[in-house]
Amino acid sequence: MTSRLYSYLTLALVFLFLIGPFVIIVAAALSGGETLAFPPQGLSLKWIAKVFEVESFRESFALSMFLAIFGTLAALVLGVPVAYAASRYRLPFGETIRTIVSAPIIVPGIIVGLALLRYLVIPLDVSVGLALFIAHTALILPYAVRVVSASLDNLRSDIEEAAVLLGSSRVATFFRIVLPNIQSGILAAFILGFVTSFNQVPVSLFLSGPGVRTLPIDMIWYMEITYDPSVAALAALLAFLSISIVFLAERFLGFSRYV
Amino acid sequence: MFHNRTEALALAMPAAIFAAIVFLVPVGILLSEGFRAADSWTLSAYTGFFDNELNRVVFWRTLKLGALVTAASAVIGYATAYAIVTLPPTARGRMIGLVVMPLMISPVARTYAWIVILGRTGIVNKAIVGLGLSDEPLRFLFTETAVFIGLLQLFLPLMILSLISALENMPKDAVPAARVLGANWLQVFLKVILPLTKEGLVIGGTLVFTGSLTAYITPAILGGSKVLMLETLLYQRVTVANDFASASIIAMILMVMSFSANMLLKRLATARSKR
Amino acid sequence: MLKTLLASSVAFAALAGTANAADKKLVISVYGFAQDEFKEIVYDPFKAICDCDLVVETGNSVERLAKLEARKDDPEIDMAVMSTHDALAAARKGVTQPIDVSRLTNYDKLYDIAKDPLGDHLGVGYTFYATSIAYRADKVKIESWADLFQDELKGRVAFPNVTTNQGPPALYMLGMAMGNDAADLKAPIDEVASNKDDIVTFYERSSQVAQLMQQEEILAAPIGRFSWGPYSKMDMDMAWATPKEGETGGMNVMILTKGAKNEDLAYQFMDFWLSTDIQTKLAEALVDSPANSEVVVSDEIAENLTYGAETVKNLKLLPPDVILDNREAWLSEWNAKVGQ
Repeated sequence: MTSRLYSYLTLALVFLFLIGPFVIIVAAALSGGETLAFPPQGLSLKWIAKVFEVESFRESFALSMFLAIFGTLAALVLGVPVAYAASRYRLPFGETIRTIVSAPIIVPGIIVGLALLRYLVIPLDVSVGLALFIAHTALILPYAVRVVSASLDNLRSDIEEAAVLLGSSRVATFFRIVLPNIQSGILAAFILGFVTSFNQVPVSLFLSGPGVRTLPIDMIWYMEITYDPSVAALAALLAFLSISIVFLAERFLGFSRYV
Repeated sequence: MFHNRTEALALAMPAAIFAAIVFLVPVGILLSEGFRAADSWTLSAYTGFFDNELNRVVFWRTLKLGALVTAASAVIGYATAYAIVTLPPTARGRMIGLVVMPLMISPVARTYAWIVILGRTGIVNKAIVGLGLSDEPLRFLFTETAVFIGLLQLFLPLMILSLISALENMPKDAVPAARVLGANWLQVFLKVILPLTKEGLVIGGTLVFTGSLTAYITPAILGGSKVLMLETLLYQRVTVANDFASASIIAMILMVMSFSANMLLKRLATARSKR
Repeated sequence: MLKTLLASSVAFAALAGTANAADKKLVISVYGFAQDEFKEIVYDPFKAICDCDLVVETGNSVERLAKLEARKDDPEIDMAVMSTHDALAAARKGVTQPIDVSRLTNYDKLYDIAKDPLGDHLGVGYTFYATSIAYRADKVKIESWADLFQDELKGRVAFPNVTTNQGPPALYMLGMAMGNDAADLKAPIDEVASNKDDIVTFYERSSQVAQLMQQEEILAAPIGRFSWGPYSKMDMDMAWATPKEGETGGMNVMILTKGAKNEDLAYQFMDFWLSTDIQTKLAEALVDSPANSEVVVSDEIAENLTYGAETVKNLKLLPPDVILDNREAWLSEWNAKVGQ
């Protein structure tokens, strides 16, 4: 029984460490005082309201949402065929291709951002927005391939082979049989990609321009120029956004199997 | 299994070409810049980089903090993962959810909280003074301790998750069997759990170590210019001095460090199993 | 596929309400502080009269200068504001062009020192600031720059990093307090180095200091007067030191980028910002001390600013070329002694 007790104690301490800071952020966000402090002085929603008044947050939120949604979609469009080819075909140079598409996960983000700034944005006059889109797509690609591959490996391939033998085209087989069966894997990849992109900092650090700045970068900047609890309010709002997406996904899909 | 090679390549090539052109090529050029002198290839920039004392200090600090965070997260990770795996299934699912949750919160927000918590008037110092552990509040902000705490909080969930899946794949009766045979907990851990979960440890360790090396926000906010790490040094070199050569060298060092850590952990894992 | 995505991105941006119908667009690059006030006092009223879109890029001088240089051949930015020495650096790198002051109707109202601080009309001063020490009057007493390293402040003081605009002037004053005003700043850097364990942090942004002060992490720090606003509102006994060596400070200037795509708008904007009306409002909001000599503010406001010809004349400023020519040396000296 004592070992049970130790387990519970361990869990309590670890979760205090992991989640405690978040509780403090939420408390600070609801503070009635003028400064960031814990315990908060009084209770109010004014800092939450202030977040919605900051114009740059609206713009950077829109950009981050755009990158997270369309970057992930683009990564899936590129990544699903790779996963399919790797799992259903004898793919020539399979190992090389897999290494190439998963490289973005290995290279530190700040280097990716700097490299794209120096060799894509500046010399080729690519806009910062497009560079961000490319960088985020590349960054999500490894996740898309990995999660969808796992999903495909769990799906028996003889059904498709039978369908093809019976005269269905490859493309039709993919859309009618494979895709419906790996739906939840694709959704899991989408959510993972979305959250990764949405919270991404280092890649976007060098990739910002006039009026083009992702939300996390905007937040860092804002944090450095203000010290009132609106920063905490923004952080808390974003956390709730991410958590509710994941919670819903978990609820309906059992998403944590794929993480 | 289909056998049409052209079809397979056609499916895989767009992604590979995309990643190669927009990703590998720019990164490759950036990394090669550190080896380029006026008209030849050389290592002199690297030796020059390490001749500078500040750079050496930052390099060792990054390595040290990365190793410490990895070691600490392995210890805490095993205790936590084991506690979670032995729970009944519903509770286990909830606990895993709680481990995943911090990963979904922006690192900016997570790091920011520590400024309040670790400050002179923050709760940690209030507790320390209140418990009589120190007369004066301690200075945490802008120290290596603060960066260590911030990084550990950021990456511990990755270690816990890797270890949970490793522990789940372990034969259910291995630990009870060893206990029945009279092994104490340390022996059980070293002889049974560790060998059976080393793959999870390698994956978790690589994720945590690489994460710690390449985190920007945490050292920037909690360390500042007094506790520069390679990543913040890189940013500073570029923005303050427009010094792309140093940036390229630091980038290469970071990548080499990540790869070597991965190799080393793999090596350690196999060495242990041979015994 | 990419095209479809980009097309939908436009649709998405429109949905999110970020698209703007105005076809004239001015892009400016400014410091990040007090943007709420600038928006209310400068940007929004200007947008109303120019019928154009105004895109504001923020950052510290160094970052923004690096970006200006990177986009030299195809500038996105039309006008920028920066410190005199960064403006001089920009001019030497050929990213700026002389300002035709005859197009600025408010030019003649400026204090003489602001009219042509860089020569060749490469910049026009729009604000000054004093740099001195903000401190907790209930905890410590500061009468000299050397008092930063008194015993009561061990572990409770922040100092500007040498890379910031406040760093070199603060070091210079520290040197004066030590009886050494050499431009190489070797003596004060040594002094900072020998006290570095007692300095909480070498801050990189002025506003970062406010949070530290608020949390009682620090009791004193050299800051620019432009960031004084929040301190005066703090529920603490904050004071602005008048050290016996004097106060230092700096001037910020407007510059026009070479090849600016919206030159006319840039001139219109600069003139608007220099007008008596706008300069007065910025002063009253405690954002920027006026460079326009016609600005009149109440004593209470003047108290919190760097106001009036006399005050400005008494600031011990490091000339921009001295800063620019020594900066590299200061940085390596600092990195070698303080940086680790």
